[in-house]
Amino acid sequence: MPPIIDSSECTACGRCVEICAEDVFYGSKKGEIPIVTYPRECVHCSCCVYECPVGAIRVRIPLPAMTVYKPTQEKSQ
Amino acid sequence: MEEQMVETDVLCIGGGIAGLMAAIRASELGAKVVVAEKGHALHSGRGRDGNDHFETYIPEVHGIDRAAFIEELLRTAKGEVSLSHEIFRAQFAKAFDIVKLWDSWGIPMKYKGKWEFAGHSFPGRAMTHIKYSGHMQKKVLIQQAIDRGVEIMNRVMGFELLRDGDGIIGALAAHTREDKVIVFRAKAVILATGKCSRLYPSLTPGWMFNDPHGGGVTGDGRAMAYRVGAQLHNVEMPQRHIGPKYFPKFGQATWVGVLKDAQGKPVGTFAPKPDRKYGDMIMEVNKLVCEQYTQSGKGPVYMDCTDMTDEDYEYMMYWMVQEGNISLLDHMKEEGIDIRRHPIEFATYPLRFGGLIVANAGAETNLKGLYAAGDEAFGDISAAATFGWIGGENAARYAKEIEAPDVERHRATIEEKKISLDRLRGRQEGPDWEEANIALQQVMYDYAGSVRNKALLQQGLSHLQRLKKKIDTTMIARNPHELAHCLEVLNMFELGELVFIMALDRKETRSLHVRPDYPFTNPLLDQAHIIQTMDGKPVIQWKPF
Ligand SMILES: Cc1cc2nc3c(=O)[nH]c(=O)nc-3n(C[C@H](O)[C@H](O)[C@H](O)COP(=O)(O)OP(=O)(O)OC[C@H]3O[C@@H](n4cnc5c(N)ncnc54)[C@H](O)[C@@H]3O)c2cc1C
Ligand code: SF4
Ligand code: SF4
Repeated sequence: MPPIIDSSECTACGRCVEICAEDVFYGSKKGEIPIVTYPRECVHCSCCVYECPVGAIRVRIPLPAMTVYKPTQEKSQ
Repeated sequence: MEEQMVETDVLCIGGGIAGLMAAIRASELGAKVVVAEKGHALHSGRGRDGNDHFETYIPEVHGIDRAAFIEELLRTAKGEVSLSHEIFRAQFAKAFDIVKLWDSWGIPMKYKGKWEFAGHSFPGRAMTHIKYSGHMQKKVLIQQAIDRGVEIMNRVMGFELLRDGDGIIGALAAHTREDKVIVFRAKAVILATGKCSRLYPSLTPGWMFNDPHGGGVTGDGRAMAYRVGAQLHNVEMPQRHIGPKYFPKFGQATWVGVLKDAQGKPVGTFAPKPDRKYGDMIMEVNKLVCEQYTQSGKGPVYMDCTDMTDEDYEYMMYWMVQEGNISLLDHMKEEGIDIRRHPIEFATYPLRFGGLIVANAGAETNLKGLYAAGDEAFGDISAAATFGWIGGENAARYAKEIEAPDVERHRATIEEKKISLDRLRGRQEGPDWEEANIALQQVMYDYAGSVRNKALLQQGLSHLQRLKKKIDTTMIARNPHELAHCLEVLNMFELGELVFIMALDRKETRSLHVRPDYPFTNPLLDQAHIIQTMDGKPVIQWKPF
């Protein structure tokens, strides 16, 4: 579920529904808390996160997209 | 299917960098302009959340010899796509004007009051890219467009051009939220639909929208243009890129680090230690390096920023945001990944469609009234902005000279297209767009990968054509959103087919087109390989650049 809306924070302003280029919130109704209709079409740009006026959205990065890194703290030569 | 008629002088299909710049310029010259954008222009396309490198010639920096600057580009970074010098000349005659314009509009093109050159250049050679703060660029461009009276129609996907004689007279579009077809009656059309993201599988094949291009760029412009007789080139020449694994993001030149193997040895020779001015040019020289290391048992390969100074860290973090990589930074933070301590694994990203519309230095195609700009014809920000501007200018001038076209003469075509959409919406059972897209990606990956031969290509082509025939009569769209995806998939099937046809015809090995049955690069084929449809059949020609 890439975008996750905190329904206790969301004011149902519709901004995220308006601006998501991929229309992940397709079918959401005006004046209601948006629904995440197409989570797998999220491109993890976080534009909705930064457009939300009350900070009610976070984007969960799906497991297959997790960044791979070297866990060590070794300094390379 | 409901129908809406929209009349305009100039129609821009795609509200990315090129489309918006074209709209701004055409409107400034007095044309009535509409932008049809598939998503929402504020955060759509590859410039959706920012970019940070703008390629430009600046006389006060590079000296008055513009030709020498272009020579440098041809020798280095831009070697990948062969284009006529005329196009480079046109770009760099104008790019600096665009830089100054953007700066005056509120897209900061200087850093701390000065032109900041960094990245995409070799140590000791001419610097070709300035750093600019592009994070808010789309907001600024949209405002400029609106101020000049441009109408932006969001959630409107162009899917067919209307041709009359040797000219374009409009386009058909589908609304992505309502069952509605929009018929555009336009004197000139500018195609600016960006790259093509979902023809080949992504880095995470089970998660196809996890793509650095975003999901909404699917080569629609190329497919539309081809169907009405415009010329395409470079179709069979795939592209590859390099970047973090598995959260693919562009911006290789924004990383201040060194590409190293697991033992900490640099894989290239350009950057012994992190260097904010040059980055690590090995990524520009050989995008396959990560894949080659892995396949030869020497992987993995890391982007190692652990030796960077605190100032370099602040610098890189600032530019990562401007580059549109804020979500990657947030993700790393959430996972406790700190680039000052953790080398990040880099990967060679999978194949991408590299086909382009043939457009001249005026962004004109071979069809009257049809223009193409940006990733559609020749990409990167500087080219998108510059040729968008030039295309908008030429389209507006052309529109002034001609009468409003009569699209009603093409009523039969319009009705036929509407019926085909109704059919997609009406079917209850059958493959949806996603199933069709996966099948397509599978064929492209297995039969039109980098290494191809005649038998493989012929087999792939026949399978693709069978699939195409099947989806033509069985694909379903449960709502307007899915209908748009179906139209994208149909476009990509068309482009996939062209990849096979052109790869079969290119009887040589060149760059990422590797033909073991023709293992040498043929210098006689240092030309544009062009395909267009004539009387419903593909016609191929070679033409000097
Ligand atoms: C993260 C990232 C960083 C980058 N950094 C740089 C950089 O620093 N410097 C640089 O030079 N380049 C950079 N690039 C490349 C640069 O962003 C592109 O070259 C540029 O945005 C191309 O502009 P465009 O207008 O051609 O396409 P885009 O900006 O991609 O716009 C295409 C638009 O067309 C719309 N569209 C697609 N199909 C249709 C249709 N059928 N109907 C209607 N609309 C449609 C899309 O929704 C989109 O809005 C970067 C790319 C990415 C992804
Ligand atoms: S992260 Fe981007 S693609 Fe995903 S829901 Fe938000 S705006 Fe849409
Ligand atoms: S932008 Fe934020 S507040 Fe507005 S609807 Fe979306 S989640 Fe709710």
